Amino acid sequence: MAELIKSFRPYVTWANAHGAWPDMIFSTRVRFARNLEGFPFPNRAEPRQLAEIRRLALAAAKQTGLFSRGHYLKFEALGPLEKRFLVERHHVSHALAAAVLPAGAAVANDEDLSVMVNEEDHLRLQCLNSGFAIDEAFRAALKLDEALGRELPFAYGPKFGFLTACPTNAGTGMRVSCLAHLPALSRLGQMPQVLESLSHLGVTARGIYGEGTYVLGDFYQISNATCLGRGEEEFCQNIDRVIRNLIRQEIAARETLLKGPFKLKTEDAVFRALGLLRHARTLSYEEFMQNISLVRMGAAMGWNMGVDFSTFNQVTLLMQPAHIQAAAGRALDPAERDIFRAESLRKKLG
Amino acid sequence: MLCEECREKNAVVFLKLAVNNKVTELHLCPACAAKKGMGFGLETGAFNISDIVGNMSGYFKDFLPPEKKTLRCGTCGLKYSEFKDTGRLGCPECYAGFEAQLTELMSRIHGATQHSGRAYSAGPSLKLSKAETSRRLQELRASLKEAVAKEDFEGAARLRDALKRLEGGNG
Repeated sequence: MAELIKSFRPYVTWANAHGAWPDMIFSTRVRFARNLEGFPFPNRAEPRQLAEIRRLALAAAKQTGLFSRGHYLKFEALGPLEKRFLVERHHVSHALAAAVLPAGAAVANDEDLSVMVNEEDHLRLQCLNSGFAIDEAFRAALKLDEALGRELPFAYGPKFGFLTACPTNAGTGMRVSCLAHLPALSRLGQMPQVLESLSHLGVTARGIYGEGTYVLGDFYQISNATCLGRGEEEFCQNIDRVIRNLIRQEIAARETLLKGPFKLKTEDAVFRALGLLRHARTLSYEEFMQNISLVRMGAAMGWNMGVDFSTFNQVTLLMQPAHIQAAAGRALDPAERDIFRAESLRKKLG
Repeated sequence: MLCEECREKNAVVFLKLAVNNKVTELHLCPACAAKKGMGFGLETGAFNISDIVGNMSGYFKDFLPPEKKTLRCGTCGLKYSEFKDTGRLGCPECYAGFEAQLTELMSRIHGATQHSGRAYSAGPSLKLSKAETSRRLQELRASLKEAVAKEDFEGAARLRDALKRLEGGNG
């Protein structure tokens, strides 16, 4: 099994449910898109230029002191399972994992900070925090941004701000996102209207791993749709307001699910899901996500699901395909994975 | 339920996507799902957005003003028409090269045309590798030669300064 995966901790600090609203907001992420002056953007750079950019970026990351005992990765040295593992940890995107050109990443020891090198932009740096924590994530990401900006000359102009390969990211280059778990709104069939209303608020909803990914287990990534023309704090405040509103709507939907004739149906669905997770002998990732979604909601409604939110969050990470194979210590085909997943989940849920 | 793609076989793959703030559900048979690159099921978690909502670059095509065919970035050579096709710029200098067109695009995308976030001034210049320095020197010398041949003396003076800076900084 790959040395890289062994060098990561089995548990992720940012997945512990110590943040605010852990039953609805899994994590908060703030990222900045940055590019180096004097180089073409990755899509038009030659491989040797990309290699040079990576050398400079990883050296700068080291210089900041924020990545001590962290991971410095060159993607051509990684296998598909290792890349997939990094995607599942939310450190790199699918696009970067699929890249054939010299790409790289730096990941802090705590796995809260990371920098992707040579994805769509030269640098995508991010901070991931547990729960609803926009302010903390913003401050930590900004600290990383400022530290890197002292080491590297970022492409910047007074009119369009930080210059990025795609004009949709120019300006602050910032994206603030919360991974929101909205099972009650989904169950009541209200998500289409909710998403529709978000689009009027300058906010976008995406699937669980970001752009171009599926909605799994009723998790939605909610983020700002624009990033030019206002200050960073203003963009943060807007997302903050939208998320608080979303939380209120989800709470109301959960209350509805506990009223009158709904209650028995809800309780039945939640406990059936718990039974399935506890007793299944083979379990696909999709089925796991559908059922853990209900069980998480059941725990939030005050029913005894036997485990706490930190355990829910950790198993949600650990049940992903590459994590399953890492735990098994070898590559498994999908059917073998489903058996291994069911087994290890039975142990965790007791 | 029948597969939404071929309308022949039974749909067994149910996918849910959030694109452009709409929840889209796709019901496909295994063969059509595999054709859409979903052969590995949901495990990879990724889909090709253009399969589902058509080509996203249409967005830029619709929003970017038309321009002369010859317009291109003076630094990286990216044609404006290429940018319209892909939605991706070639280098930071493209923002200066296509400023008028981008101003219009920015107002449509962001509802604003002026950055008002944090200001930034670049730190010390980079310690480039020898290979990158010599590549840049070569490029500058070639452009200088071209400028002199075209009797663009202002441009030549600017390039000469840039050459001196690069040679001095890494000498």
